[in-house]
Amino acid sequence: MLEKYWEGETSLEEEEALRLFFRTPHPDLPEALQEAAPMFQYFRMEAEKVWEVPPARIVKLSPMRHWMKYAAILLVAVGIGYAVKQQGQRERQAVVAMKEQELNDPQRAFDETKKALQLLAKNLNKGTSKMQKLSYFNEATSLVEGKE
Amino acid sequence: MSLERFLSQVVPVRQKLYRFAFRLLGNEEDAQDITQDALMKVWGMQEKMAELQNMEAWCMRITRNLALDKIKSRKYRVSDGLDRAGELPAVQQQSPHAVAEQNDVMGKVHVAIQALPEKYRTILQLRDIDGHSYQEIADILDIDMNDVKVNLHRARKGVREKLQNLQVYGL
Repeated sequence: MLEKYWEGETSLEEEEALRLFFRTPHPDLPEALQEAAPMFQYFRMEAEKVWEVPPARIVKLSPMRHWMKYAAILLVAVGIGYAVKQQGQRERQAVVAMKEQELNDPQRAFDETKKALQLLAKNLNKGTSKMQKLSYFNEATSLVEGKE
Repeated sequence: MSLERFLSQVVPVRQKLYRFAFRLLGNEEDAQDITQDALMKVWGMQEKMAELQNMEAWCMRITRNLALDKIKSRKYRVSDGLDRAGELPAVQQQSPHAVAEQNDVMGKVHVAIQALPEKYRTILQLRDIDGHSYQEIADILDIDMNDVKVNLHRARKGVREKLQNLQVYGL
């Protein structure tokens, strides 16, 4: 049976029988059987050991028990908000900086002014051609009415 | 899971969980922490309880996983055999010399078992000290029953060889 035990093939009942056998010393046993005695004695002592389990700590289950999770979520939200705000601010600052750079450079300022005046002139010319047409119409009307 | 079920089925195995955690960690305070964490985890996973066949094995598996995580998480020093060799209960014997000799032999067995890899050691303890069946050990460790037998054989063989090397024989 001991050979079966070493092979890991014994049943719980057989192991109990071995435990009972080795419970009392057998000095006349052959060496092959003696070697198992300390192990069985150790197992018995460990099994009989009384464990003093410290009393359980009472853990109050409050909604705030996961406060670190909530704090982490809040921190991430604040972080994202701050990053978005900073990004917007940076973009605005970049636009202002570009405008300032344009005004500080005389050539670019001249070019920009020229472009703006050309646009104005183009629009004004559009109005002139319409006024010219109106003037022809007025002249024609006067001729028909025989005023001249 | 209702509070009643938790109190009637889970809380009674607390001592077993503590003992199991203590054997893995070798430290009272950490064993207590792990037991508490395991119970909290079981309570947190209550919806899974209905499908369980062996609640105790499940609780022990959770305890083992938490204890192993703790060991892995930092350079955890599990108290070795020599630390606890002196704590072994003295055997009732007549002569002080015999008591000392007995404690010395028990200390050597303890060291031999502690020197085993964790899996072998746990299987040996669950079988030979706690008297669990092969199936229960397989459930606790979440392994196949044949693996339990093979590992148990290796564990016993390992201890046997160590004791033979130390020339520790029957008293």
